[in-house]
Amino acid sequence: MSSILATTLGRDFGKAPSVNRAVGEISLEIPRGELFGLIGPDGAGKTTLLRMMAGLLPPTRGSVRVEGIDPFGKEADHARDVIGLVPQEHSLYGDLSVGENLDFFADLYGLTGDDLRTRRDRLLSITRLGPFQARRASQLSGGMYKKLAVACALLHQPEVLLLDEPTNGVDPPSRRELWELLYEFVEGGMTVVVTTPYMDEATRCHRVALMDRGEFIALAPPQQLIDSLDAAVLEVALASVPEAREKATAVVEASPLVVASSPLGASLRVVVERGNEPAVAAELAGLGTLVPAAASFEDLFLTAIARRERDAKSSTARKEAA
Amino acid sequence: MSNETHEVMAPYEPPPRSLLQSWLAAPWAVAKKELRQTLRDPRVMAVLVIAPALQLLVLGHAANLEVDRVPTVIVDLDDTTDSRRALAELIADDTLREVARAHSPDEATALLVQGRASVAIVVPDGWSRDLHRAVPTHPARVQVLVDGTDPNRSGIAGSAALRFFSMLAARSVQERLAQMQGSMTALAGQSADLGTVTASAMAAAAGAPSSASPSVPSAMRPTQLSLAPRVLYNPRLRTAYNMVPGIATMLLLIVTTIVTSMGLARERESGTLEQVLVTPVRPWALILGKMLPFAGIGLFDLLLALVVGTYVFDVPIRGSIPLLFGVTFVYLLTTLGLGLLISTVSQTQQQAFLAGLFVMMPGILLSGIMTPIESMPSWLQPVTYLNPLRWFSQIVRAVMIRGATLDEILGPLGALAVCGFVLATVAILRFRKTAG
Repeated sequence: MSSILATTLGRDFGKAPSVNRAVGEISLEIPRGELFGLIGPDGAGKTTLLRMMAGLLPPTRGSVRVEGIDPFGKEADHARDVIGLVPQEHSLYGDLSVGENLDFFADLYGLTGDDLRTRRDRLLSITRLGPFQARRASQLSGGMYKKLAVACALLHQPEVLLLDEPTNGVDPPSRRELWELLYEFVEGGMTVVVTTPYMDEATRCHRVALMDRGEFIALAPPQQLIDSLDAAVLEVALASVPEAREKATAVVEASPLVVASSPLGASLRVVVERGNEPAVAAELAGLGTLVPAAASFEDLFLTAIARRERDAKSSTARKEAA
Repeated sequence: MSNETHEVMAPYEPPPRSLLQSWLAAPWAVAKKELRQTLRDPRVMAVLVIAPALQLLVLGHAANLEVDRVPTVIVDLDDTTDSRRALAELIADDTLREVARAHSPDEATALLVQGRASVAIVVPDGWSRDLHRAVPTHPARVQVLVDGTDPNRSGIAGSAALRFFSMLAARSVQERLAQMQGSMTALAGQSADLGTVTASAMAAAAGAPSSASPSVPSAMRPTQLSLAPRVLYNPRLRTAYNMVPGIATMLLLIVTTIVTSMGLARERESGTLEQVLVTPVRPWALILGKMLPFAGIGLFDLLLALVVGTYVFDVPIRGSIPLLFGVTFVYLLTTLGLGLLISTVSQTQQQAFLAGLFVMMPGILLSGIMTPIESMPSWLQPVTYLNPLRWFSQIVRAVMIRGATLDEILGPLGALAVCGFVLATVAILRFRKTAG
């Protein structure tokens, strides 16, 4: 059985005529025990999709089932026992201590007794928050705060854990620690859905969905997506002329042949449709030379978004012409 | 995700919960958390406990409608022994306080304009002559000028002065009547039919100098007929008797409504509401839990108001104290319900606070605490029936000052309960709709 099943799920905000399609029509199946990533720029609709899965935001169209339960149906309470959510915003009580926050959410889930005590101790030990039990949540570092939020969401041992940008504002060591936690949960059979704007984190998921303007533009295991990139990824080896980088950037950004570009240290990284490499090299003559590079997830992402924009422009242009 | 992991995972079992647990545990958990947060925040504690005590003390003294020591300028153009004695007697009453002497009405008006005095009393030249003549067509007149920018204070002071001078005039008429009677008795000797004195003649002689003719031959023995109203429950007509229950009503409204509305808005604003709403806790349980601690604090504030009222303002508590607390609990349902309702239409704490002010001001003005409902325009009076403040302040006054029992306050208590029920129901329905 699939852990999460979405069918033509969508949500609009606002009233006609200025309806904002935050999530268009998304169909998705996530099996149990998968670590699923939702990747996309800000405003792509990741949070809206996650909130619909969590039963917080009723969909405008389509349906969602979590462990076979409709979170907006009669069994909504049952769904809440199955789902754990770590919201993007600060969702804990800053003026309560680590221990008090845990106890409060345990009370809301109706947890008591030895069972609660063992779980609480275990969560405190795996998040390494044990020594900070008496500290107020507002005085925790970004990483510790997120770990506490994860611990609060896991007290009732949900089947499905939804995390909205859990690594936002978290330093790299804590970030790695969080991901290690997620791996541990997934190995235990939990389904984990995580949104992130960080491309390097996408490759840590079993499968990722690239999201842009409310739609999935790609959905596959991350390496498979990178391998499928049908464009040339090149680095610009800059010539030693004054302001080479600035000039090269200007050329690359103006060129219709370059699909996507991103700064790379002191240099530039460009994605070019196959076959166009010599032409781009000619445009950059005197400023630098092109060296082939290995494709990364970021290249894939930027290319996908750029192509979508280009297609959207050309289709409106065609419509206007017709 | 291999198949092994699927098999390792235990099938889902909801945590065992007894009915009692699920009904009480969640509200209790929320209440406990709320109380913890409140006790931990010194600013909120100050708003809830210290501010009410201070406001009660300050308002109890400041919102004093008893008029005394009104700055007065005196123009004595008559300048006779009579006028000087009369003015000294007037000032001795302490309602008016002489701040200046002027030599002409114009000079007195100037002082009023400058704001140095609120009332001017002009005793014209020849006043004592008119007083002694006591001719009804030409009575002894004084002029009282009043600063209208503070109509209540100046009006009361002005009419007090007028009353005083009318009384002097009346006294003078009586004295004259007595003199006349004396001379008439001397003239007529022991003549007959002295017994037929009409009541109207007596009343005229005693109270209304204008209709009392000094040449009435049948006025024999002027009988003093005076009207002495007896004020029940508050014989000294002290404002505190009215203000302490009124202030308690307003304080409970402000404290509980603002804190509830801002408390929920704060959870919405900071995102904590989201985390709470993904738990199986029911909306009503969440609301109940959030309201309970503030209802408790509201009852504590009532206790505070009663203590301050008794020991600082000498306001008696003639009715039953448990009844007062019971009624207050019903009132708190309405104020907390109002706070919750405000929170459902507010996204931020700031909005909640402003919306709270917007609702509370008319609530207070239309409650009859500050101004009597009877003196509001007739179309506005029915609106006050919807105002829980009106009913609660009415009940508190009745119970505290008149010692009313439950039977005697059933009407307003019923109205209050209806207000509370409607507000709480609408609030919960709206909260359920907007929570998601």
